[in-house]
Amino acid sequence: MVFTIPSPTLVGLDTSTVQVEVDLRPGLPAFSMVGLPDAAAREARERVRSGLVNQAYSVPARRIVANLAPADLRKQGPQYDLAIALSILAASGQVPVAALEGVAAVGELGLDGAVRPVPGVLAMAEHASQRGWARLLVPHANAAEAALAGGDTEIVPVRDLRDAAETLCGRREPRRVVADASEPGDARVTVADLGDLRGQATARRALEIAAAGLHSMLMIGPPGSGKTMLARRLPGILPPLSPREAVEVTRIHSVVGLLDPGAPLVRRRPFRAPHHSISVSGLVGGGRTPRPGEVTLAHRGVLFLDEVCAFAPSVLDALRQPLEHGVVDVVRANTSVRFPARPLLVCAGNPCPCGFAGDAGGRCTCPPGRAEAYRARLSGPVADRIDLRVDVPRLSRDELMAEGTGEASVAVRARVMAADAPRAAREQGVPNAHLGPVETRRVARLDAAGRRVMDAAVDRLGLSARGFDRVLRVARTIADLAGSERVADEHLWEAIALRAPGEGERRG
Amino acid sequence: MARPASADEALGLALLAHGLNRDLQRAARAAGGAGALWRMGPAAQARLLRVAEADVRAAATRDALAAARGRLEAAGVSLVAAGDVPERLRQVFDPPFGLFAEGDWARVAGALTERPVVAVVGTRRPTAAGRRFALGLAAELAARGAVIVSGLALGVDGAAHEGALEAGGDTVAVLGCGLDHDYPRAHRALRARLRERGAVISEYWCETAPAPWRFPARNRIVAGLAHATVVVEARGRSGALITADFALEAGRVALAVPGPPWADASQGCNELIRAGAGVCTGAQDVVDELPHAAWGDTQAEADAVAAPVGDRGVLYGLVRAEPMRIDQLAATARITPAATAAALASLEVDGLVLRGEGQRYWAVRRAT
Repeated sequence: MVFTIPSPTLVGLDTSTVQVEVDLRPGLPAFSMVGLPDAAAREARERVRSGLVNQAYSVPARRIVANLAPADLRKQGPQYDLAIALSILAASGQVPVAALEGVAAVGELGLDGAVRPVPGVLAMAEHASQRGWARLLVPHANAAEAALAGGDTEIVPVRDLRDAAETLCGRREPRRVVADASEPGDARVTVADLGDLRGQATARRALEIAAAGLHSMLMIGPPGSGKTMLARRLPGILPPLSPREAVEVTRIHSVVGLLDPGAPLVRRRPFRAPHHSISVSGLVGGGRTPRPGEVTLAHRGVLFLDEVCAFAPSVLDALRQPLEHGVVDVVRANTSVRFPARPLLVCAGNPCPCGFAGDAGGRCTCPPGRAEAYRARLSGPVADRIDLRVDVPRLSRDELMAEGTGEASVAVRARVMAADAPRAAREQGVPNAHLGPVETRRVARLDAAGRRVMDAAVDRLGLSARGFDRVLRVARTIADLAGSERVADEHLWEAIALRAPGEGERRG
Repeated sequence: MARPASADEALGLALLAHGLNRDLQRAARAAGGAGALWRMGPAAQARLLRVAEADVRAAATRDALAAARGRLEAAGVSLVAAGDVPERLRQVFDPPFGLFAEGDWARVAGALTERPVVAVVGTRRPTAAGRRFALGLAAELAARGAVIVSGLALGVDGAAHEGALEAGGDTVAVLGCGLDHDYPRAHRALRARLRERGAVISEYWCETAPAPWRFPARNRIVAGLAHATVVVEARGRSGALITADFALEAGRVALAVPGPPWADASQGCNELIRAGAGVCTGAQDVVDELPHAAWGDTQAEADAVAAPVGDRGVLYGLVRAEPMRIDQLAATARITPAATAAALASLEVDGLVLRGEGQRYWAVRRAT
């Protein structure tokens, strides 16, 4: 007879249903799998056989055919093991068919019949409640994560095959699962604290502005001046993730298996710092069955590109779509998936290949044109998206030896959050950095004095049209930080001082 | 002296020089003038240039001339006949047959005849201080009404153009290749600004590629346009020294910025001074050398910028000729980083300080 159990599966970050069908036919005992399983999925045969035997069930002495439908969707990984095993039990009458009414299952089997965790359970649990399935069997280790979905589907965590069967037959009380319910973004957000850093007053200020308006920023400075240290402290001064954002980020991290099983809900804003040797698909996502890239893993957090000039130009170019639209579309021959990708981009680079251009004492050894050529690598789509530029010089001895440290992250974050309030009420709460030209002019209206400031900046510094908008957006954020409804001269001036690379650049 | 070449003749010769990849000056001297060289026809030209007549015919046909005119028009490049180039340039040895110009040539040509014209040139690898000096010198001279001429090269040349633009003055770049060539690439943005607010000129047909021997030839135009040539930094065999030589040959003022004897980047300058060039330590030296030029009223210029007050005043009092980091300035002035950044940006826009690499600021000129 044929028996079928649905099992949720991932397509990128989206989900769909795979019907796990098992047929027992008369003939020589055999076990075959069809429905485009990959090697890991195909080996379910051995795991299921051993699992059944070791949990004291019998493997029917029939010709077993397991089909994963739809047959044209590529199936990856061992997550169908549990559903296959349960289907065999039902088809061979070892578990009453009625017990499996409205049940879906996902999980990998060990040879001893234990149910092992799989990635992406949060998305699968959401899928289950959308489909209106009554119960979803999940590996015990994924229970807390699955519970975050919070739908009507009953989440049934199971430890092993027998546990699953007994629970379904009502002979065991289902384990209760409690969603990870603590407030997202509570006090322990900051590991790296701004208070640990000395000096760099201007860079700190730029960091604060970046956090308040989600402005992408570029830090230029010689090696060892603290660019990475500063960037690592950015997530800690961003407003905490809202509950919805936390689930969104958790979903992504679950799919690639980055979650902490003990506390699956991601409370900290992600901080991703890919090495500059990364490939295009590593950064924006890809692969034959598309996997999210770093830009998606940094969604709602910080994407830090250190040594930005050393990234391949094609890799930086690939950031255009995510930076512009907040999503990445990965298209493959038979699939097209969309990943969310709205990170706060922070780039860091040396002023020239040797790192010492502009350093007092003439330590730069680069031949003429080399530094320009080096920096030209940053031009184009990425440079166009950078709102803030700050130079991070090496500290002098006096500054290094100075007593006392800087302001702690908690204090900075309080100001960032205060600045966030007026923003939330404007333009559907779009962060300042993501405002278009029209909206920018609406929220950053200039009075006569402000117009004079901007006119002068355009004339004297050769500010471009794009640069003009960037200055306005940043000035809006500075005004928010100052609690000012109107964008005043001093806000514009400070935004001009932090203007983006390429706007009225000069060497000296 | 022979009649200067007409626009058509200049264009024909430019095409011919491009097609044959040669300098035609010697032939023009032998023919008794550029016009004469063009009018003598392909057979005689071929004989004079010692090339095949077919090559001459292929390089510059009548049809090509018409097409070339159309092309210049489409690209917005104006063709300046030898008779219309500034008088001073016509006096150099081997004056150009004509010029191709981008930008507002008509206005710039007026400025070149009426106002003091200073060439600021130097090495492509200046020290940071040399670059700053070039920028500040050009800015101050431009503020006092001078037109700054240079070669758009990396280093000192670029800084000179930037300084002039910074001060809102006029500036002209002379290229050693055709105007189609983006050379040097790194100065693409600077060139766009020059096109808008100054002019970019070349004696070569648009498609002519840069070649080592064309840069010295270009330098004669730089020196020829200027009343005075200032060499900011030059190594022992710098092309900037060639520009200074052309200036001296044409009887113009040549100045050099002295450097310490151990400074590699100043070897050429010190040599020039030993050979009799004037010493330039600031804009005033140039002004003193050209007493009869129509310098702007410097007092009025200085008055235009009120002495800064408040935070701006404090910071303005702190910036020096040597660049200082914004954090140092903020700490010394005891002003918040935000207010310091704002005040410095506004001083920068007023042209009182300049910002350089590493968010360092330095003073350009003193307000009164």
